[in-house]
Amino acid sequence: MKILVPVKRTASLDDEFEMRDDGRDVDADFCEYDINEFDEFSVEEAIKIKEAAGEGTVEVVVMTVGPEDADEVLRKCLAKGADRGIRVWDDALEGSDQMAIARIIAKVVEREQPELVLTGAQSSDHGFAQTGIALAGILGWPHGAVVSFLEYTPGAPSLAFRRELEGGLEQKASIPMPAVLTIQLGINRPRYASLRGIRQANSKPVDELSHTDLGLTDDQVGEAGSLSRIRRMYVPERGRSEMIQGTPAQQASRILQIIKDVRG
Amino acid sequence: MPLDAPVSRSKYDVLFEPIQIGPKTLKNRFYQVPHCIGAGSDKPGFQAAHRSIKAEGGWAAMNTEYCSIHSESDDTHRLSARLWDDGDVHNLSAMTAAIHKFDALAGVELWYGGAHAPNMESRQTPRGPSQYASEFETMTYCHEMDIDDIHDVQGFYVEAAKRARDAGFDIIYCYGAHSYLPLQFLSPYYNKRTDKYGGSFENRARFWIETLEKMKVAVGDECAIATRFAVDTLIGEDGVEIERDGVKFIEMADPLVDVWDVNVGDIAEWGEDAGPSRFYRQGHQLPWQKFVKDVSKKPVLGVGRFTDPEKMAEIVRSGQMDIIGAARPSISDPFLPQKIKEGRIDDIRTCIGCNVCISRWEIGGPPMICTQNATAGEEYRRGWHPEKFPKKGSDDAVLVVGAGPSGAECARVLMERGYTVHLVDSAEKVGGHVNDVSSLPGLGEWGYHRDYREVQLGKLVKKNKQSQLALGGARLSVADVLDYGAEKVVIATGSHWSTDGRNALTHAPIPGIDASLPYIATPEQVILGQKKIGKKVIILNADPYFMAPSLAQKLHQDGHDVTVVTGVELGRYMHFTLEYPNMHRMLHEMHVEVIGDHWASKVEEGRIELYNLWGDGSERRYNGPGRMPRNPNTSHTWHNFDTLVVVTGRKSNDELYRGLKERKAEWDKNGIKDVYVIGDAWAPKLIADSTFEGHRLAREIEEPKAQFPKPYRREVSVFGTPYIPGGFTDIRYEV
Ligand SMILES: Cc1cc2nc3c(=O)[nH]c(=O)nc-3n(C[C@H](O)[C@H](O)[C@H](O)COP(=O)(O)O)c2cc1C
Repeated sequence: MKILVPVKRTASLDDEFEMRDDGRDVDADFCEYDINEFDEFSVEEAIKIKEAAGEGTVEVVVMTVGPEDADEVLRKCLAKGADRGIRVWDDALEGSDQMAIARIIAKVVEREQPELVLTGAQSSDHGFAQTGIALAGILGWPHGAVVSFLEYTPGAPSLAFRRELEGGLEQKASIPMPAVLTIQLGINRPRYASLRGIRQANSKPVDELSHTDLGLTDDQVGEAGSLSRIRRMYVPERGRSEMIQGTPAQQASRILQIIKDVRG
Repeated sequence: MPLDAPVSRSKYDVLFEPIQIGPKTLKNRFYQVPHCIGAGSDKPGFQAAHRSIKAEGGWAAMNTEYCSIHSESDDTHRLSARLWDDGDVHNLSAMTAAIHKFDALAGVELWYGGAHAPNMESRQTPRGPSQYASEFETMTYCHEMDIDDIHDVQGFYVEAAKRARDAGFDIIYCYGAHSYLPLQFLSPYYNKRTDKYGGSFENRARFWIETLEKMKVAVGDECAIATRFAVDTLIGEDGVEIERDGVKFIEMADPLVDVWDVNVGDIAEWGEDAGPSRFYRQGHQLPWQKFVKDVSKKPVLGVGRFTDPEKMAEIVRSGQMDIIGAARPSISDPFLPQKIKEGRIDDIRTCIGCNVCISRWEIGGPPMICTQNATAGEEYRRGWHPEKFPKKGSDDAVLVVGAGPSGAECARVLMERGYTVHLVDSAEKVGGHVNDVSSLPGLGEWGYHRDYREVQLGKLVKKNKQSQLALGGARLSVADVLDYGAEKVVIATGSHWSTDGRNALTHAPIPGIDASLPYIATPEQVILGQKKIGKKVIILNADPYFMAPSLAQKLHQDGHDVTVVTGVELGRYMHFTLEYPNMHRMLHEMHVEVIGDHWASKVEEGRIELYNLWGDGSERRYNGPGRMPRNPNTSHTWHNFDTLVVVTGRKSNDELYRGLKERKAEWDKNGIKDVYVIGDAWAPKLIADSTFEGHRLAREIEEPKAQFPKPYRREVSVFGTPYIPGGFTDIRYEV
């Protein structure tokens, strides 16, 4: 049985940063990159299923869409116990939105034939929360979003899970296999890789594929294959703040003044 | 000011403006005031290295510790510097030479102690303004000076000043803080004279003024004359008060002084100057110090555990003082000025104000240590630089289990050296028990110890993607460690408080003490709020440091009635950290009852049986085997409690280490070359010593038996080499 876990290399910002010249993203010099936090949980969930099953029963394949730098997040997953990796990239993929990415992942699913796909509920940088769901849509598979608890035995015809709803509600559901689940933070406690794991990861295979290898045409990927396009990224104007000083009485009257001003 | 205003890079510029002090120029406003380190003139290499590392780190001036001007002022058992003879000149010139290499100034604090100097080595009798018994030192009286004596002693200052100049010092102090001689003349607390050196302010000031005049004549053209002045001795009108004699003396002596170094307090409670963070915040002396600038035309410097560059800049900018004096912050981070200059504020190793540095001087002169800076005192003898590290000696990857003081420091230094390190802790945060301790009342600043390591580790793991900070995971088992894939394993799993009453007095558990019972709690259980604490609390203490007093304070603040029963002097080590007086004032304020000299024989639900430690009679005799050589102790009495808190002793968490040791045969096939234990896991100790052990191992991990330290360079006199040039060393009797 095979589980496919698509992961993303996400950016986090330094304290101070600048935008790219085209104004459509942050200058990469000011970003730090790591695996998407949500994906730490989906990877862990997959590895747990693998470990609970007998030796050699479950294969966990991690994949990402991204340039060579993204290898490090795959290695991280391999270090924790995933079996092999797939990285899809070529220049034509630049500018792909979440729909185009989902289309690429769907092609990998066709190729790998997993029974289960676990994605993160969303990415910690762009936060669209669409890729997993779009993937299920393209594949026509049943899916569960924002999954906070999962019960699944490899080979079983269906899986049971709980998902988080708004307002503190939870929903219990079960769906037939094959399925796509998007995993919520906190579903498990992601492990850290051991030194042995990190070393072993270096010898695990990572396949590199281009969009044509997957049978996708140029207009299905990149900006051409996307439904949306980022026009501008910017820091919205911040609210004002001020240091209120003086005696307690002076401070109180200043606070009162501010409240009056704000209320208008 | 709006919070999002752009940060000017020049906001600390005022701190980097040069300033003239007499014939010398300070290149910036960072000034290491005199402080002891345990080197004096006896360990010139230590002295030179400890001061010059700060010169390298950007400080404009470094001073010696107090420096005796004559054998009549001998502080043995404590360790001062000395300028008694040419031997001392030779040794101290190592310090001035090392400092001058960095374009910084060297200062010396000329000291005469009066009755506070016990003269246990020289066996001379100190002289003083009047005859009094020291309130600081046991059993020393001084001889009351007549006019000849006054001239003698003033001559000592002058001769020592000349030797200081010859040794290469740029700044020469006349030390009149901490109740030493010039202040003894000024303060009516000591000075009861009726001649022209006593009585009126002018008369009381005369000794000091004349001494400064004589020093200035002797060396003032070549050296800056400084004086350290406790502008308020904090005992009201019986002593010196800032707005009376304080400002008057500043006005009077101003023409003779090139730079003022002002603080408050006396010697018996000098924790009012070197204020522990438990009681005093940064800048705590400013309410007194700020008067000085109003009356002085000379540069003014002062201390107050200044660690925050914003505060320092504000003090200089607002004209409260011209120069930032620092003792402890300079020990904790010798590179403080450079880090501020480079805007590396988050790299500053902030002094936590624990005063463990001071404890060593108070104990009587072993080398100073620092909780934050493990390299303090190790610059010369171990060759440790606080900011530079030797490149790694192998490609071994290291697993460090436990991110407390020892493990975090070890991992940090290993990573600085370029090693791949995995630092693993089941807690969510770096810091180990410092996280608990810093949550106790008044100890918040101790958390800087964790913060520094947390920030540095965060930066270091980003530099080496193979390294990892693995927090909040499951505890590693012996099998996990064997299987981890590390060539070297460092166990830093800390210690815990005894749960069965095991203690330093009986070395045995106390019947009935079991911290799994609902009415008995360990310090950890109290701090983490894991137990319901009843109204009436008895703390049973056999620990000589802060835990019992701190828990008493915490529980009192939480509304409990607290009694401390203690078999050792409560907070004994806090004498040495200068926390003792205010700690006792506080316990008194809180009506915490302290039952001293008692220990416990057994505990039942709701009550504890205590006995007086001295209740077994003063007569000792042989009573035959199986019989005590003293009377049976019949002083036992029962005392009621709702909750008993047991601060009886600590025990290493060494299961993981011992488990690994049992499976030593499997190390090799798992690729493990060695396993080490550091910090409390080896044996419970001060945070400073745990930090040191982690640091030490990280620097020496390539050594064949790295569990144990390499020998350090000892500075001791060499037989056959006379200390004073031209002297002799063979045994000769005067017959
Ligand atoms: C370890 C240590 C030793 C000290 N020894 C001396 C000394 O020899 N002479 C002196 O005038 N002050 C001495 N002091 C006091 C300091 O000079 C300073 O006044 C005090 O520590 C407050 O400054 P800080 O808050 O910057 O530490 C010592 C302080 C420390 C920490």
